[in-house]
Amino acid sequence: MARAARFTNRFDAVLFGGCILLSLVSMVLPPNLREPVAGSLRRSLVAPLVRLQQGAERWRGAYLSAQREELRRDTLALAAARVPTLEAENERLRQMLGLGSKLQWGFIPAQALQGRGRVEDFTITLSAGSNAGIRERSLVVAPEGVVGMVQTVDPTLSLAILFAHPDFRVSAMSADGSAFGIVQPHIPGSGTGTTPESSHLQSERWLLELRGVPFRSTLKPGAVVYSSGLGGIYPRGIPVGVVLGEIKTTEAWARTYLLRPSVNPAEISSVMVLTPQRATSGLTNVWANIGSVDSAARGVVAAGDSLARQAAAAEAAARRAAIDSAVRDFRDSAGRDTARVADSIAQFVPGARAIPRATPAPAPPAARPADSTARVRRDTAARRARADSTRRDTTTGARP
Amino acid sequence: MNWSATIRTVLLCSVLVFLHYTLRPLLAWRAAPDFLIIALLLAAVRVRPGVAAMIGFLIGLASDSLALGTFGAGALAMTLIGFSWSKLKAVFFADHVLLNGFFLFLGKWAYEIVMNVAERRMQGAELLMQILVWSSLSAFVTAVAGVLALMALRPVLETRAA
Repeated sequence: MARAARFTNRFDAVLFGGCILLSLVSMVLPPNLREPVAGSLRRSLVAPLVRLQQGAERWRGAYLSAQREELRRDTLALAAARVPTLEAENERLRQMLGLGSKLQWGFIPAQALQGRGRVEDFTITLSAGSNAGIRERSLVVAPEGVVGMVQTVDPTLSLAILFAHPDFRVSAMSADGSAFGIVQPHIPGSGTGTTPESSHLQSERWLLELRGVPFRSTLKPGAVVYSSGLGGIYPRGIPVGVVLGEIKTTEAWARTYLLRPSVNPAEISSVMVLTPQRATSGLTNVWANIGSVDSAARGVVAAGDSLARQAAAAEAAARRAAIDSAVRDFRDSAGRDTARVADSIAQFVPGARAIPRATPAPAPPAARPADSTARVRRDTAARRARADSTRRDTTTGARP
Repeated sequence: MNWSATIRTVLLCSVLVFLHYTLRPLLAWRAAPDFLIIALLLAAVRVRPGVAAMIGFLIGLASDSLALGTFGAGALAMTLIGFSWSKLKAVFFADHVLLNGFFLFLGKWAYEIVMNVAERRMQGAELLMQILVWSSLSAFVTAVAGVLALMALRPVLETRAA
Protein backbone atom coordinates (compact mmCIF):
# COMPACT_ATOMS: atom_id res chain seq x y z
CA MET A 1 0.00 0.00 0.00
CA ALA A 2 2.77 2.37 0.93
CA ARG A 3 4.68 1.24 -2.12
CA ALA A 4 1.68 2.01 -4.32
CA ALA A 5 1.36 5.43 -2.76
CA ARG A 6 5.01 6.11 -3.33
CA PHE A 7 4.59 4.96 -6.91
CA THR A 8 1.68 7.28 -7.57
CA ASN A 9 3.51 10.14 -5.95
CA ARG A 10 6.48 9.43 -8.11
CA PHE A 11 4.22 9.15 -11.12
CA ASP A 12 2.66 12.51 -10.34
CA ALA A 13 6.08 14.04 -9.83
CA VAL A 14 7.30 12.65 -13.12
CA LEU A 15 4.25 13.96 -14.95
CA PHE A 16 4.57 17.34 -13.29
CA GLY A 17 8.26 17.52 -14.03
CA GLY A 18 7.71 16.45 -17.61
CA CYS A 19 5.06 19.11 -18.12
CA ILE A 20 7.27 21.77 -16.57
CA LEU A 21 10.16 20.67 -18.74
CA LEU A 22 8.06 20.68 -21.88
CA SER A 23 6.73 24.09 -21.00
CA LEU A 24 10.22 25.48 -20.54
CA VAL A 25 11.34 23.87 -23.77
CA SER A 26 8.36 25.37 -25.55
CA MET A 27 9.34 28.75 -24.26
CA VAL A 28 12.87 28.55 -25.53
CA LEU A 29 12.12 26.88 -28.82
CA PRO A 30 13.36 28.78 -31.85
CA PRO A 31 10.58 30.14 -34.05
CA ASN A 32 11.15 27.67 -36.87
CA LEU A 33 10.53 24.77 -34.47
CA ARG A 34 7.84 26.51 -32.41
CA GLU A 35 5.63 27.39 -35.35
CA PRO A 36 4.97 23.80 -36.58
CA VAL A 37 3.90 22.78 -33.09
CA ALA A 38 1.67 25.79 -32.60
CA GLY A 39 0.30 25.48 -36.13
CA SER A 40 -0.64 21.84 -35.65
CA LEU A 41 -2.41 22.75 -32.43
CA ARG A 42 -4.30 25.60 -34.12
CA ARG A 43 -5.37 23.37 -36.98
CA SER A 44 -6.53 20.50 -34.79
CA LEU A 45 -7.39 21.08 -31.16
CA VAL A 46 -7.84 24.82 -31.17
CA ALA A 47 -9.53 25.16 -34.57
CA PRO A 48 -13.12 24.60 -33.37
CA LEU A 49 -12.49 26.91 -30.45
CA VAL A 50 -11.17 29.59 -32.77
CA ARG A 51 -14.26 29.22 -34.92
CA LEU A 52 -16.38 29.65 -31.82
CA GLN A 53 -14.43 32.77 -30.97
CA GLN A 54 -14.83 34.08 -34.50
CA GLY A 55 -18.58 33.55 -34.29
CA ALA A 56 -18.70 35.38 -30.98
CA GLU A 57 -16.62 38.19 -32.42
CA ARG A 58 -19.04 38.46 -35.36
CA TRP A 59 -21.96 38.63 -32.96
CA ARG A 60 -20.22 41.30 -31.03
CA GLY A 61 -19.35 43.18 -34.19
CA ALA A 62 -22.96 43.00 -35.34
CA TYR A 63 -24.15 44.17 -31.96
CA LEU A 64 -21.72 47.07 -31.93
CA SER A 65 -22.60 47.93 -35.52
CA ALA A 66 -26.30 47.97 -34.67
CA GLN A 67 -25.55 50.08 -31.65
CA ARG A 68 -23.50 52.50 -33.75
CA GLU A 69 -26.31 52.61 -36.30
CA GLU A 70 -28.80 53.34 -33.58
CA LEU A 71 -26.56 56.04 -32.19
CA ARG A 72 -26.19 57.51 -35.67
CA ARG A 73 -29.97 57.49 -36.11
CA ASP A 74 -30.40 59.13 -32.73
CA THR A 75 -27.80 61.72 -33.63
CA LEU A 76 -29.55 62.42 -36.91
CA ALA A 77 -32.92 62.61 -35.17
CA LEU A 78 -31.47 64.95 -32.59
CA ALA A 79 -29.93 67.08 -35.29
CA ALA A 80 -33.22 67.09 -37.20
CA ALA A 81 -35.06 68.09 -34.05
CA ARG A 82 -32.67 70.98 -33.55
CA VAL A 83 -33.08 72.27 -37.08
CA PRO A 84 -36.31 74.25 -36.45
CA THR A 85 -34.80 75.79 -33.34
CA LEU A 86 -31.68 76.77 -35.24
CA GLU A 87 -33.76 78.11 -38.09
CA ALA A 88 -35.85 80.18 -35.69
CA GLU A 89 -32.75 81.50 -33.99
CA ASN A 90 -31.21 82.24 -37.36
CA GLU A 91 -34.31 84.10 -38.46
CA ARG A 92 -34.37 86.09 -35.25
CA LEU A 93 -30.73 87.05 -35.55
CA ARG A 94 -31.39 88.10 -39.14
CA GLN A 95 -34.23 90.27 -37.93
CA MET A 96 -31.96 91.77 -35.30
CA LEU A 97 -29.38 92.50 -37.98
CA GLY A 98 -32.06 94.12 -40.08
CA LEU A 99 -33.22 96.25 -37.18
CA GLY A 100 -29.64 97.22 -36.44
CA SER A 101 -29.04 98.30 -40.03
CA LYS A 102 -32.21 100.41 -39.92
CA LEU A 103 -31.38 102.00 -36.59
CA GLN A 104 -27.85 102.65 -37.87
CA TRP A 105 -26.66 104.13 -34.59
CA GLY A 106 -27.54 104.59 -30.96
CA PHE A 107 -28.42 101.03 -30.03
CA ILE A 108 -26.83 98.42 -27.81
CA PRO A 109 -27.47 94.76 -28.56
CA ALA A 110 -28.01 92.60 -25.50
CA GLN A 111 -29.02 89.12 -24.58
CA ALA A 112 -32.23 88.90 -22.58
CA LEU A 113 -32.13 86.45 -19.68
CA GLN A 114 -35.53 85.62 -18.29
CA GLY A 115 -35.77 86.97 -14.72
CA ARG A 116 -35.77 84.50 -11.87
CA GLY A 117 -37.88 82.02 -13.74
CA ARG A 118 -41.09 83.11 -12.09
CA VAL A 119 -43.93 83.95 -14.40
CA GLU A 120 -45.02 86.89 -12.27
CA ASP A 121 -41.70 88.67 -12.55
CA PHE A 122 -42.27 90.38 -15.89
CA THR A 123 -38.65 91.46 -15.83
CA ILE A 124 -35.67 90.46 -17.86
CA THR A 125 -31.99 90.66 -17.17
CA LEU A 126 -29.97 92.20 -19.96
CA SER A 127 -26.39 91.13 -20.57
CA ALA A 128 -25.22 94.72 -21.02
CA GLY A 129 -24.95 97.50 -18.51
CA SER A 130 -23.70 101.01 -18.01
CA ASN A 131 -20.29 100.07 -19.38
CA ALA A 132 -21.97 99.48 -22.70
CA GLY A 133 -23.87 102.75 -22.55
CA ILE A 134 -27.21 101.65 -21.15
CA ARG A 135 -28.92 104.19 -18.90
CA GLU A 136 -32.03 104.05 -16.77
CA ARG A 137 -35.27 104.40 -18.69
CA SER A 138 -33.57 103.30 -21.87
CA LEU A 139 -35.95 101.64 -24.29
CA VAL A 140 -35.76 97.96 -25.00
CA VAL A 141 -37.02 96.98 -28.42
CA ALA A 142 -37.05 93.93 -30.62
CA PRO A 143 -37.53 93.63 -34.37
CA GLU A 144 -41.24 93.14 -33.70
CA GLY A 145 -41.68 96.19 -31.47
CA VAL A 146 -41.73 97.33 -27.87
CA VAL A 147 -40.22 95.00 -25.28
CA GLY A 148 -39.91 97.18 -22.20
CA MET A 149 -37.84 99.73 -20.40
CA VAL A 150 -34.61 99.56 -18.41
CA GLN A 151 -35.15 100.17 -14.74
CA THR A 152 -31.89 99.28 -13.02
CA VAL A 153 -28.43 99.50 -14.50
CA ASP A 154 -25.29 97.83 -13.24
CA PRO A 155 -21.90 98.12 -14.90
CA THR A 156 -22.26 94.83 -16.70
CA LEU A 157 -25.93 93.96 -16.31
CA SER A 158 -29.23 95.75 -16.34
CA LEU A 159 -32.77 94.90 -15.40
CA ALA A 160 -35.71 95.86 -17.55
CA ILE A 161 -39.44 95.62 -17.06
CA LEU A 162 -41.45 93.93 -19.77
CA PHE A 163 -44.59 95.31 -21.34
CA ALA A 164 -46.61 93.07 -19.06
CA HIS A 165 -45.16 94.62 -15.93
CA PRO A 166 -47.82 96.49 -13.91
CA ASP A 167 -45.74 99.68 -14.08
CA PHE A 168 -45.53 99.68 -17.85
CA ARG A 169 -47.31 102.50 -19.72
CA VAL A 170 -46.88 103.84 -23.21
CA SER A 171 -48.85 106.45 -25.10
CA ALA A 172 -50.12 104.87 -28.28
CA MET A 173 -52.11 105.53 -31.38
CA SER A 174 -53.65 103.69 -34.23
CA ALA A 175 -51.84 103.42 -37.53
CA ASP A 176 -53.96 106.13 -39.17
CA GLY A 177 -53.68 108.42 -36.18
CA SER A 178 -57.42 108.44 -35.62
CA ALA A 179 -57.35 106.96 -32.13
CA PHE A 180 -55.04 107.74 -29.25
CA GLY A 181 -54.81 106.14 -25.86
CA ILE A 182 -52.59 104.71 -23.19
CA VAL A 183 -51.35 101.15 -23.45
CA GLN A 184 -50.97 99.31 -20.18
CA PRO A 185 -50.85 95.67 -19.14
CA HIS A 186 -54.08 93.75 -19.18
CA ILE A 187 -54.68 92.58 -15.64
CA PRO A 188 -57.60 90.13 -15.70
CA GLY A 189 -60.16 90.71 -13.03
CA SER A 190 -59.09 94.27 -12.37
CA GLY A 191 -61.94 95.92 -14.16
CA THR A 192 -64.14 93.17 -15.43
CA GLY A 193 -65.23 91.75 -12.12
CA THR A 194 -63.67 88.36 -12.71
CA THR A 195 -61.17 86.65 -10.50
CA PRO A 196 -57.56 86.29 -11.63
CA GLU A 197 -57.18 82.74 -10.35
CA SER A 198 -58.44 81.21 -13.53
CA SER A 199 -55.70 79.80 -15.74
CA HIS A 200 -57.51 81.25 -18.72
CA LEU A 201 -57.23 84.67 -17.20
CA GLN A 202 -53.63 84.00 -16.20
CA SER A 203 -52.81 83.30 -19.82
CA GLU A 204 -54.37 86.64 -20.70
CA ARG A 205 -51.95 88.30 -18.33
CA TRP A 206 -49.50 88.85 -21.18
CA LEU A 207 -52.02 90.86 -23.17
CA LEU A 208 -52.21 94.64 -23.22
CA GLU A 209 -55.00 97.21 -23.02
CA LEU A 210 -55.39 100.38 -25.01
CA ARG A 211 -57.31 102.62 -22.63
CA GLY A 212 -58.77 106.06 -22.94
CA VAL A 213 -59.62 105.89 -26.62
CA PRO A 214 -62.26 108.55 -27.43
CA PHE A 215 -65.69 107.05 -27.83
CA ARG A 216 -66.01 108.28 -31.39
CA SER A 217 -62.86 106.36 -32.41
CA THR A 218 -63.32 102.73 -33.24
CA LEU A 219 -60.60 100.22 -34.01
CA LYS A 220 -61.14 97.01 -35.89
CA PRO A 221 -59.55 93.74 -34.80
CA GLY A 222 -56.18 93.35 -36.43
CA ALA A 223 -55.36 97.05 -36.39
CA VAL A 224 -51.78 97.73 -35.38
CA VAL A 225 -51.17 100.13 -32.53
CA TYR A 226 -47.95 102.18 -32.42
CA SER A 227 -46.32 104.33 -29.82
CA SER A 228 -47.44 107.90 -30.39
CA GLY A 229 -44.43 109.68 -28.94
CA LEU A 230 -46.67 111.80 -26.73
CA GLY A 231 -45.51 110.21 -23.50
CA GLY A 232 -42.01 111.58 -23.80
CA ILE A 233 -40.22 108.28 -23.31
CA TYR A 234 -41.13 106.13 -26.25
CA PRO A 235 -40.62 107.80 -29.60
CA ARG A 236 -43.34 107.71 -32.19
CA GLY A 237 -43.79 104.71 -34.41
CA ILE A 238 -42.75 101.61 -32.48
CA PRO A 239 -45.26 98.77 -32.84
CA VAL A 240 -46.88 98.00 -29.52
CA GLY A 241 -49.59 95.50 -30.32
CA VAL A 242 -52.46 94.37 -32.47
CA VAL A 243 -56.09 94.99 -31.59
CA LEU A 244 -57.93 91.83 -30.59
CA GLY A 245 -61.24 93.47 -29.76
CA GLU A 246 -63.01 95.91 -27.52
CA ILE A 247 -63.55 95.07 -23.89
CA LYS A 248 -66.21 96.53 -21.66
CA THR A 249 -65.05 98.55 -18.70
CA THR A 250 -66.61 100.90 -16.23
CA GLU A 251 -65.33 103.88 -18.18
CA ALA A 252 -68.36 104.86 -20.15
CA TRP A 253 -66.79 107.90 -21.80
CA ALA A 254 -63.92 106.05 -23.47
CA ARG A 255 -63.26 102.79 -25.23
CA THR A 256 -60.80 100.15 -24.10
CA TYR A 257 -59.29 97.70 -26.53
CA LEU A 258 -57.52 94.42 -25.83
CA LEU A 259 -54.17 94.14 -27.62
CA ARG A 260 -51.97 91.24 -28.47
CA PRO A 261 -48.37 92.40 -27.91
CA SER A 262 -46.25 92.73 -31.00
CA VAL A 263 -43.45 90.84 -29.26
CA ASN A 264 -44.01 87.27 -28.19
CA PRO A 265 -42.63 87.10 -24.64
CA ALA A 266 -41.44 83.55 -25.20
CA GLU A 267 -39.22 84.71 -28.05
CA ILE A 268 -37.47 87.49 -26.22
CA SER A 269 -33.86 86.40 -26.44
CA SER A 270 -31.91 89.07 -28.27
CA VAL A 271 -32.96 92.69 -27.91
CA MET A 272 -31.76 96.16 -28.73
CA VAL A 273 -31.48 98.88 -26.11
CA LEU A 274 -31.90 102.35 -27.55
CA THR A 275 -29.74 105.09 -26.16
CA PRO A 276 -31.59 108.24 -25.01
CA GLN A 277 -30.07 110.24 -27.88
CA ARG A 278 -31.34 107.73 -30.41
CA ALA A 279 -34.79 107.74 -28.87
CA THR A 280 -35.07 111.50 -28.97
CA SER A 281 -33.86 111.70 -32.55
CA GLY A 282 -36.87 109.74 -33.75
CA LEU A 283 -37.32 106.38 -35.35
CA THR A 284 -38.83 107.33 -38.66
CA ASN A 285 -38.73 104.51 -41.21
CA VAL A 286 -37.11 102.09 -38.77
CA TRP A 287 -40.16 99.88 -38.65
CA ALA A 288 -41.66 99.24 -42.07
CA ASN A 289 -45.12 100.43 -41.15
CA ILE A 290 -44.07 103.88 -40.08
CA GLY A 291 -43.93 105.14 -43.66
CA SER A 292 -47.39 103.86 -44.29
CA VAL A 293 -48.58 105.47 -41.05
CA ASP A 294 -47.37 108.85 -42.16
CA SER A 295 -48.63 108.41 -45.70
CA ALA A 296 -51.98 107.25 -44.39
CA ALA A 297 -52.17 110.27 -42.13
CA ARG A 298 -51.23 112.55 -45.00
CA GLY A 299 -53.80 110.82 -47.20
CA VAL A 300 -56.51 111.36 -44.61
CA VAL A 301 -55.60 115.03 -44.26
CA ALA A 302 -55.47 115.53 -48.03
CA ALA A 303 -58.80 113.80 -48.49
CA GLY A 304 -60.33 116.02 -45.82
CA ASP A 305 -58.90 119.13 -47.45
CA SER A 306 -60.22 118.22 -50.89
CA LEU A 307 -63.68 117.51 -49.51
CA ALA A 308 -63.67 120.87 -47.74
CA ARG A 309 -62.55 122.61 -50.89
CA GLN A 310 -65.24 120.86 -52.94
CA ALA A 311 -67.95 121.76 -50.45
CA ALA A 312 -66.83 125.40 -50.41
CA ALA A 313 -66.82 125.56 -54.19
CA ALA A 314 -70.25 123.99 -54.37
CA GLU A 315 -71.61 126.47 -51.84
CA ALA A 316 -70.16 129.40 -53.72
CA ALA A 317 -71.61 128.12 -56.99
CA ALA A 318 -75.00 127.72 -55.40
CA ARG A 319 -74.85 131.26 -54.11
CA ARG A 320 -73.91 132.52 -57.53
CA ALA A 321 -76.75 130.59 -59.12
CA ALA A 322 -79.21 132.00 -56.60
CA ILE A 323 -78.02 135.54 -57.27
CA ASP A 324 -78.17 135.03 -61.03
CA SER A 325 -81.70 133.72 -60.93
CA ALA A 326 -82.72 136.58 -58.64
CA VAL A 327 -81.18 139.04 -61.04
CA ARG A 328 -83.01 137.48 -63.96
CA ASP A 329 -86.32 137.58 -62.11
CA PHE A 330 -85.91 141.16 -61.08
CA ARG A 331 -84.87 142.13 -64.60
CA ASP A 332 -87.87 140.39 -66.11
CA SER A 333 -90.32 141.85 -63.67
CA ALA A 334 -88.93 145.28 -63.02
CA GLY A 335 -87.03 145.99 -66.16
CA ARG A 336 -83.75 147.80 -66.01
CA ASP A 337 -84.14 148.76 -62.38
CA THR A 338 -83.53 145.16 -61.52
CA ALA A 339 -79.93 145.41 -62.56
CA ARG A 340 -79.37 148.13 -60.05
CA VAL A 341 -80.98 145.98 -57.36
CA ALA A 342 -78.81 143.05 -58.36
CA ASP A 343 -75.72 145.14 -58.01
CA SER A 344 -76.77 146.12 -54.57
CA ILE A 345 -77.32 142.44 -53.68
CA ALA A 346 -73.95 141.54 -55.10
CA GLN A 347 -72.35 143.99 -52.75
CA PHE A 348 -73.67 142.09 -49.77
CA VAL A 349 -73.05 138.53 -51.00
CA PRO A 350 -69.37 137.55 -50.86
CA GLY A 351 -68.17 135.71 -53.90
CA ALA A 352 -70.92 136.98 -56.12
CA ARG A 353 -69.55 138.55 -59.25
CA ALA A 354 -70.89 141.62 -60.92
CA ILE A 355 -73.83 140.85 -63.10
CA PRO A 356 -73.61 142.04 -66.65
CA ARG A 357 -76.26 144.40 -67.71
CA ALA A 358 -77.15 142.53 -70.83
CA THR A 359 -77.87 138.81 -70.90
CA PRO A 360 -76.27 137.21 -67.85
CA ALA A 361 -74.53 133.84 -68.27
CA PRO A 362 -76.29 131.00 -66.46
CA ALA A 363 -74.47 129.31 -63.58
CA PRO A 364 -72.88 125.92 -64.31
CA PRO A 365 -75.44 123.36 -63.27
CA ALA A 366 -72.88 120.65 -62.65
CA ALA A 367 -71.33 122.54 -59.76
CA ARG A 368 -74.57 122.93 -57.88
CA PRO A 369 -75.31 120.63 -55.03
CA ALA A 370 -78.68 119.00 -55.33
CA ASP A 371 -80.27 120.49 -52.21
CA SER A 372 -78.98 124.00 -52.86
CA THR A 373 -80.09 123.76 -56.47
CA ALA A 374 -83.54 122.67 -55.41
CA ARG A 375 -83.68 125.44 -52.84
CA VAL A 376 -82.61 127.96 -55.44
CA ARG A 377 -85.16 126.63 -57.89
CA ARG A 378 -87.88 126.84 -55.29
CA ASP A 379 -86.96 130.44 -54.54
CA THR A 380 -86.82 131.24 -58.20
CA ALA A 381 -90.18 129.63 -58.85
CA ALA A 382 -91.73 131.62 -56.02
CA ARG A 383 -90.30 134.84 -57.35
CA ARG A 384 -91.48 133.91 -60.80
CA ALA A 385 -94.92 133.32 -59.40
CA ARG A 386 -94.82 136.75 -57.85
CA ALA A 387 -93.52 138.24 -61.07
CA ASP A 388 -96.20 136.40 -63.06
CA SER A 389 -98.85 137.80 -60.80
CA THR A 390 -97.43 141.24 -61.31
CA ARG A 391 -97.30 140.68 -65.00
CA ARG A 392 -100.72 139.19 -64.92
CA ASP A 393 -101.86 142.12 -63.09
CA THR A 394 -100.04 144.33 -65.51
CA THR A 395 -101.20 142.53 -68.64
CA THR A 396 -104.70 142.29 -67.41
CA GLY A 397 -104.84 146.06 -67.18
CA ALA A 398 -103.18 146.44 -70.53
CA ARG A 399 -105.45 144.09 -72.39
CA PRO A 400 -108.44 145.33 -73.95
CA MET B 1 -13.71 9.18 -9.52
CA ASN B 2 -16.13 6.91 -11.30
CA TRP B 3 -17.07 7.13 -14.94
CA SER B 4 -20.22 9.07 -14.31
CA ALA B 5 -18.40 11.73 -12.36
CA THR B 6 -15.68 11.78 -14.98
CA ILE B 7 -18.18 12.32 -17.76
CA ARG B 8 -19.94 15.05 -15.81
CA THR B 9 -16.65 16.76 -15.13
CA VAL B 10 -15.62 16.55 -18.79
CA LEU B 11 -18.97 17.96 -19.89
CA LEU B 12 -18.83 20.83 -17.45
CA CYS B 13 -15.27 21.62 -18.39
CA SER B 14 -16.33 21.61 -22.04
CA VAL B 15 -19.10 24.03 -21.25
CA LEU B 16 -16.65 26.31 -19.48
CA VAL B 17 -14.21 26.12 -22.39
CA PHE B 18 -17.11 26.93 -24.70
CA LEU B 19 -17.98 29.93 -22.57
CA HIS B 20 -14.34 31.02 -22.62
CA TYR B 21 -14.36 31.24 -26.40
CA THR B 22 -17.85 32.66 -26.79
CA LEU B 23 -18.93 34.69 -23.78
CA ARG B 24 -15.55 36.24 -23.15
CA PRO B 25 -15.23 37.79 -26.64
CA LEU B 26 -18.79 38.99 -26.37
CA LEU B 27 -18.11 40.74 -23.09
CA ALA B 28 -14.78 42.14 -24.26
CA TRP B 29 -13.96 43.43 -20.81
CA ARG B 30 -10.45 44.47 -20.02
CA ALA B 31 -10.68 42.37 -16.87
CA ALA B 32 -12.72 39.46 -18.15
CA PRO B 33 -13.37 36.17 -16.35
CA ASP B 34 -11.08 33.32 -17.34
CA PHE B 35 -13.27 30.24 -17.77
CA LEU B 36 -10.26 28.05 -18.62
CA ILE B 37 -8.93 28.59 -15.12
CA ILE B 38 -12.32 27.67 -13.65
CA ALA B 39 -12.44 24.56 -15.81
CA LEU B 40 -8.95 23.64 -14.67
CA LEU B 41 -9.97 24.04 -11.03
CA LEU B 42 -13.01 21.84 -11.54
CA ALA B 43 -10.86 19.16 -13.12
CA ALA B 44 -7.84 19.49 -10.83
CA VAL B 45 -9.72 18.82 -7.62
CA ARG B 46 -11.04 15.58 -9.07
CA VAL B 47 -7.88 14.03 -10.45
CA ARG B 48 -4.41 13.22 -9.28
CA PRO B 49 -1.79 15.96 -9.20
CA GLY B 50 0.15 14.55 -12.10
CA VAL B 51 -2.95 14.31 -14.25
CA ALA B 52 -3.98 17.80 -13.19
CA ALA B 53 -0.55 19.09 -14.20
CA MET B 54 -0.94 17.43 -17.57
CA ILE B 55 -4.42 18.87 -18.09
CA GLY B 56 -3.07 22.28 -17.18
CA PHE B 57 -0.19 21.84 -19.57
CA LEU B 58 -2.50 20.91 -22.46
CA ILE B 59 -4.94 23.74 -21.80
CA GLY B 60 -2.07 26.21 -21.47
CA LEU B 61 -0.36 24.98 -24.61
CA ALA B 62 -3.60 25.20 -26.56
CA SER B 63 -4.16 28.75 -25.50
CA ASP B 64 -0.51 29.53 -26.18
CA SER B 65 -0.89 28.40 -29.73
CA LEU B 66 -2.85 31.54 -30.44
CA ALA B 67 -0.18 33.78 -28.91
CA LEU B 68 3.19 32.95 -30.39
CA GLY B 69 5.07 35.52 -28.35
CA THR B 70 4.43 33.68 -25.13
CA PHE B 71 4.34 30.14 -26.40
CA GLY B 72 4.94 27.83 -23.45
CA ALA B 73 4.41 30.43 -20.74
CA GLY B 74 0.72 29.66 -20.40
CA ALA B 75 1.47 25.95 -20.32
CA LEU B 76 3.98 26.48 -17.55
CA ALA B 77 1.58 28.57 -15.51
CA MET B 78 -1.35 26.20 -16.00
CA THR B 79 0.83 23.23 -15.09
CA LEU B 80 1.87 24.87 -11.86
CA ILE B 81 -1.67 25.88 -11.01
CA GLY B 82 -3.20 22.52 -11.81
CA PHE B 83 -0.62 20.61 -9.85
CA SER B 84 -0.88 22.96 -6.89
CA TRP B 85 -4.65 22.85 -6.78
CA SER B 86 -4.69 19.12 -6.97
CA LYS B 87 -2.11 18.86 -4.21
CA LEU B 88 -3.85 21.37 -1.97
CA LYS B 89 -7.35 20.07 -2.42
CA ALA B 90 -7.13 17.72 0.55
CA VAL B 91 -5.71 20.41 2.79
CA PHE B 92 -7.70 23.48 1.98
CA PHE B 93 -10.47 22.67 -0.45
CA ALA B 94 -13.47 21.37 1.29
CA ASP B 95 -16.85 22.08 0.01
CA HIS B 96 -16.58 25.73 0.88
CA VAL B 97 -17.50 27.90 -2.04
CA LEU B 98 -15.73 31.02 -0.82
CA LEU B 99 -12.54 29.06 -0.28
CA ASN B 100 -12.81 27.85 -3.85
CA GLY B 101 -13.24 31.45 -4.90
CA PHE B 102 -10.17 32.49 -2.96
CA PHE B 103 -8.06 29.82 -4.61
CA LEU B 104 -9.46 30.78 -7.96
CA PHE B 105 -8.32 34.31 -7.26
CA LEU B 106 -4.85 33.16 -6.31
CA GLY B 107 -4.60 30.81 -9.28
CA LYS B 108 -5.69 33.39 -11.83
CA TRP B 109 -3.44 36.04 -10.32
CA ALA B 110 -0.46 33.68 -10.44
CA TYR B 111 -1.29 32.86 -14.03
CA GLU B 112 -1.42 36.56 -14.91
CA ILE B 113 1.88 37.24 -13.16
CA VAL B 114 3.61 34.42 -15.00
CA MET B 115 2.16 35.53 -18.33
CA ASN B 116 3.05 39.18 -17.81
CA VAL B 117 6.59 38.37 -16.78
CA ALA B 118 7.01 35.92 -19.64
CA GLU B 119 5.65 38.33 -22.24
CA ARG B 120 8.28 40.97 -21.34
CA ARG B 121 6.10 43.62 -22.90
CA MET B 122 5.91 45.72 -19.75
CA GLN B 123 8.55 46.78 -17.29
CA GLY B 124 8.88 48.69 -14.08
CA ALA B 125 5.90 50.70 -12.90
CA GLU B 126 3.77 49.66 -15.83
CA LEU B 127 4.31 46.00 -15.04
CA LEU B 128 3.63 46.66 -11.38
CA MET B 129 0.43 48.53 -12.24
CA GLN B 130 -0.66 45.72 -14.53
CA ILE B 131 -0.02 43.06 -11.90
CA LEU B 132 -1.48 44.95 -8.97
CA VAL B 133 -4.45 46.49 -10.67
CA TRP B 134 -5.57 44.81 -13.83
CA SER B 135 -4.35 41.31 -13.07
CA SER B 136 -5.83 41.36 -9.60
CA LEU B 137 -9.05 42.76 -10.99
CA SER B 138 -9.19 40.05 -13.62
CA ALA B 139 -8.49 37.48 -10.89
CA PHE B 140 -11.30 38.89 -8.83
CA VAL B 141 -13.75 38.76 -11.72
CA THR B 142 -12.69 35.20 -12.44
CA ALA B 143 -13.17 34.28 -8.80
CA VAL B 144 -16.64 35.77 -8.78
CA ALA B 145 -17.55 33.98 -12.00
CA GLY B 146 -16.11 30.74 -10.62
CA VAL B 147 -18.06 31.03 -7.38
CA LEU B 148 -21.26 31.64 -9.33
CA ALA B 149 -20.52 28.68 -11.59
CA LEU B 150 -19.80 26.40 -8.63
CA MET B 151 -22.99 27.46 -6.89
CA ALA B 152 -24.99 26.86 -10.04
CA LEU B 153 -23.33 23.50 -10.72
CA ARG B 154 -23.36 22.25 -7.13
CA PRO B 155 -26.19 19.75 -7.74
CA VAL B 156 -24.26 18.27 -10.63
CA LEU B 157 -20.83 18.19 -9.09
CA GLU B 158 -19.71 15.99 -6.28
CA THR B 159 -16.36 16.88 -4.81
CA ARG B 160 -14.43 13.87 -3.72
CA ALA B 161 -11.75 14.15 -1.13
CA ALA B 162 -8.43 12.62 -2.08
